[in-house]
Order: sequence, then C-alpha cells, then structure tokens
Amino acid sequence: MNKMKTILQTIDLKMIYQIGKIPVNALRGVNLTVNEGEFVAIMGPSGCGKSTMLHILGGMLKPSSGSVLIDGQDLSKMSDSSRTELRRQKIGFVFQKFNLFPTLTAEGNIRLAERIRANGNHKNEGERRTEILRLLNLEGRLNHKPLELSGGEQQRVAIARALVGHPAIVLADEPTGNLDSENSQVVLKMLQELNKKFGQTIIMITHSPEAAGITQRIVQMRDGQIVK
Amino acid sequence: MDSLVMANLSQRPVRTIISAVGVALGIVLVILMVGLSHGMLQEQGRRNSNVGAEILFTRPNNYGPGTSSVLSLPVQYAPEISKVSGVQAVSPIGQYLKPSNQSFGMEMVEGVDIESYQKVTNLSISEGKNLTTDDEVIIDPVYSRDKKVKVGDSIDLFGHKFYVSGIYQPEIGARMKIKLSMMQNLLGSKDRCSFVFVKCKPKYSQEQVAENILTALPDNKVLFTREIQELYEKGLPVVNVFVKAVVVVSIIISVLVIMLAMYTTIIERTREIGVLKSLGASKQFIVFEIEKEALLISVLGTLLGYLVAITGRWLIIKNTSLIIELEPKWLFYAALVGILSGLLGALYPALRVANQDPVKALSYE
Repeated sequence: MNKMKTILQTIDLKMIYQIGKIPVNALRGVNLTVNEGEFVAIMGPSGCGKSTMLHILGGMLKPSSGSVLIDGQDLSKMSDSSRTELRRQKIGFVFQKFNLFPTLTAEGNIRLAERIRANGNHKNEGERRTEILRLLNLEGRLNHKPLELSGGEQQRVAIARALVGHPAIVLADEPTGNLDSENSQVVLKMLQELNKKFGQTIIMITHSPEAAGITQRIVQMRDGQIVK
Repeated sequence: MDSLVMANLSQRPVRTIISAVGVALGIVLVILMVGLSHGMLQEQGRRNSNVGAEILFTRPNNYGPGTSSVLSLPVQYAPEISKVSGVQAVSPIGQYLKPSNQSFGMEMVEGVDIESYQKVTNLSISEGKNLTTDDEVIIDPVYSRDKKVKVGDSIDLFGHKFYVSGIYQPEIGARMKIKLSMMQNLLGSKDRCSFVFVKCKPKYSQEQVAENILTALPDNKVLFTREIQELYEKGLPVVNVFVKAVVVVSIIISVLVIMLAMYTTIIERTREIGVLKSLGASKQFIVFEIEKEALLISVLGTLLGYLVAITGRWLIIKNTSLIIELEPKWLFYAALVGILSGLLGALYPALRVANQDPVKALSYE
C-alpha cells in the first residue's frame, strides 16, 4: 500500500487580529494535515475563521504563531516575497466572486496566469491547457470576456486559471457561492473530476453540505478551531 | 491576448486619451516655447550680426541688442566713443520690444539717428524715401510682405500714428525703424539709447579698437557684432532660465497627469491587483505592468504632442510674426521629458499598490 505524502500541514496555527485596541482571535491553534491528492471541504458558520485559514494557507496572510508547511516549506517563517514565490509555484486560488479580469478574454485570463507562473521562463503549457479546457468544457468560450459568460462559465475559467502551472494545492473559497444550483452542480462535478483525473489536491471552503458531500473529507470549524 | 496593459488602455479610452493629452501638453509646451525663444533669438542674432558695424557698445548688464526694452545708455557716450582712436563712425540705437499690433507676439522697434546709422551700417532705401520727420517709419521687405504694409500706409506705434516713408535693405536690426529722438520722446527717455554701434577705421583691428574704447570708457561693455549670432544661438542667460523653467513646468504637468491617471485607475483596479497577488505576481511584476501602461500612454502623448506642436508651429508662423525653431535636439529632449515624466508619475502609485495587503485588496468593492 502506498503511503500518502503530506502536502499541507498546520501546527498550532493562531491568528490574532487587532481591531482598534481589542485583539480578536480568528484562529486558536488549528492543526490540520492534508495529503497529496485529497479533496477536503472546510465547513463552519460565518466568522469561524475559515477564510482567514485559507488566506494563511495561500500565503496571503502571515499567522500570529504556529506553522504552515506546504510541501515541506514553512510559510510562517518566510518573508513576504518568499510567500509570494511559494504561492506562485504551489497554490491556485478559486474565489466565490470568480475575480476574472474583465478587460481580458477567458483565454487572456488563463494566459496571464501562465505568464505569472512562468515568471519569465518560457514554458509550453499548451497541452495541459488544452486538456484542462476540454475537461472544463470551455473550448468554445475562450474568446469571450467575462461579462459575456454565464456565472458557471466564469467560475470554470477561474478554475482553469487556478490550475495553470501545476499548483500543488487549489484553495477554493466558496466556489459555488455565487452560482445557481445547476451551475453549482457542474462546477462541483468538474472539481471532482480534476481531483480524480489529475490527482489535484483541493481544499474547499463551503457552506453547502451538498458541495461538501462530493469531497473525500469534511473538516468542521467553530470559533477558530477545528472541531471535527 | 493576455496583455493587461493593452486591454486596460483600450478598455478605458477616455482615460487613456486624457492622460495622453496631459503628456502631450508638456511636449507641446517644451517644443513651442523653447523653439519660440530660440527662433526669435537666432533671427534677432542673424539680423544684428549683418549690421555692418563691427562693435556694439553697451552697459555691463546688457547682453546685446534685443534683450532690453529700457533705454538705459546715455547718448552722450556716442561722441565720447567717436573720439577714441580707430573709431570711424558711431551711431546710438534705441531698441524697444512691444506687443504686436496685428497678431499675437512681440515686435522690435528701433529708434535710429538715420544719418549716423547709415554711416555705420550698409542700410539703403529700396523703395520710397528715407526717414525725415518724426512721424515717419521705415520698414524692411519682410515686414512689408508679412503685414501687407506699403509705402504711405500708417502703423500705430506707442499710441502714435507713423507713416511708412520707405522700405530699406538689407534685413538688419529691427524691422521697423523710427527716429531715435521720437522714440526718446514717446518713451520718456530723453537723451538715452540702448547701445551704440561702432564702425572701425580700416587698418585698425576690432580687438584694438574695443580695447581703446574700454580704456577710454571703463566699466562698460563691448561686443563684436560677428559674435552676436553665436551669442544668441548659445542662448542668453535669461532665456536659458526661461527654457529651464518651461522644461520643469512640463515635467511637473506630465508627472501630475500620469500620477493622477494611474492613481485613480489603480484605485479602481484594487481588486484586480489583489487577484494578481493571489496568482503569485511579485511586486516587481505589478510595478512593471503599471510602468508599461504609463510608458505606452507617454509614448502616445509624445506622438500626439509632436503632432500638435508641429501643427501649432505652422499655424503660429502663418498667422503671427513669431519665429519658432524646430530643433531635433529639443524634439528628443521633449520626448525624454514626456516619457520619463510618465514613468516617474506612475512610480508612486505602482509602488503603493505593489505593497498593498492582498487580502484587503481582494475584499475591495
């Protein structure tokens, strides 16, 4: 039996925001381990620290204390530029509001991400891009700008964008939160396929039990802690 | 196409055009103002160096003909100079720079003692007759052609009506000449002039005569008319200060326009900057993208500025008495001013946004 490789691990992760003079404990010692190829859902009520944790896992926030190991590298000890570098190499984000560049076409959005991920090195991503676009059923929509696409299509473009450059982990922040049930189903099914077909590690925040139901593991959070 | 820069420029055409116009304004200012000051000076220098007299005697703070509108030199210097060894003839000249009567711009008028003036210069009357009365003015052929003025017509100078008595040749000094005594009366500068032209006797070197003059009349200044054009081409100190001021004002305008344009557009795109950061874009990448946008706007503004400046120059020359030099060196400097100002103006917004917290940027509505 193959031993699964740990791709992400948090150790006693704490985050304290200072709001005026009042310290707010957003995370109170989170310990989480995610293996390579896992599809994990993080659930919990609003304000329980899910988004804070996702931002820390993606290197966009520095934790107050504790460690975050991504593929063996400790994010919490890194400088801002090193965290940016790690995010560029290993993290793909999918947002609730899609966050596509409105002035660029679907293809432009994807190629921009490729350019950032390549960091000046010319990489031929054509084959992988074609495969992803086929899987996400976007081949016929590449020349359209975001406002010409449906919500489901926009989110699929955002997923394609997150996948360029082979990120080790995709962090999805309520990816179906802005979609109707039909489009939600399509997007969830595609995330599931990406996980199965490419072995893509996905950590998804969701309020929807239905969305969480397609993942391999559900992590419940409450008051800045993992409760289950 | 993944070019955010091109997409942003084409998606916000009004902002792009306004920013480019702002840069163009600086370019036009540099090209026209510098061209105008140099053009007028060089033309003035050429006309004054053709005068025939070899030496110009003036006060120490006067840089040459055409640089002062004040009759500051007592006419009594002229007979004193005429006694100096090696001096053949002298002629006191009054020069006054006034706003043009018929168009935008300035015009130079000279007050001359016509008899002594013709002894030190090679001026001759080609049409009509010489200056004889106080109400007469003689003009050169260029003035006659450009202003469509002919012998017998009247010209209003200093609120007084003058009649054109004749047209003189060659083009030397100011294009309009009246009697020095009349100019002194009208300006309230009795017995004063701007400078004195000195003609040297044959066999005397100009340098020797100049030295003799300064020995006889120390604490004054002599210029060789052969050097006047070069002096004007180098630029007079006051004009050089003006040119520098124009360049600085142009830089400030371009920097502010680009800074404002980039700042507002970046505030609009705060969320997009957050997305770029989430994709792993480094600070350098973000600064570079914004600078590329500023560079393109600056290049666009520079080209627009060239177009407006060249068209403007053509219109100004056609409709006024102004002369504007289009110097390749200053075309290059103007482009440099536009482009560097654009890059500089975008730098602060770029650095500010590149250092922004990505989580805050992503939550920007």
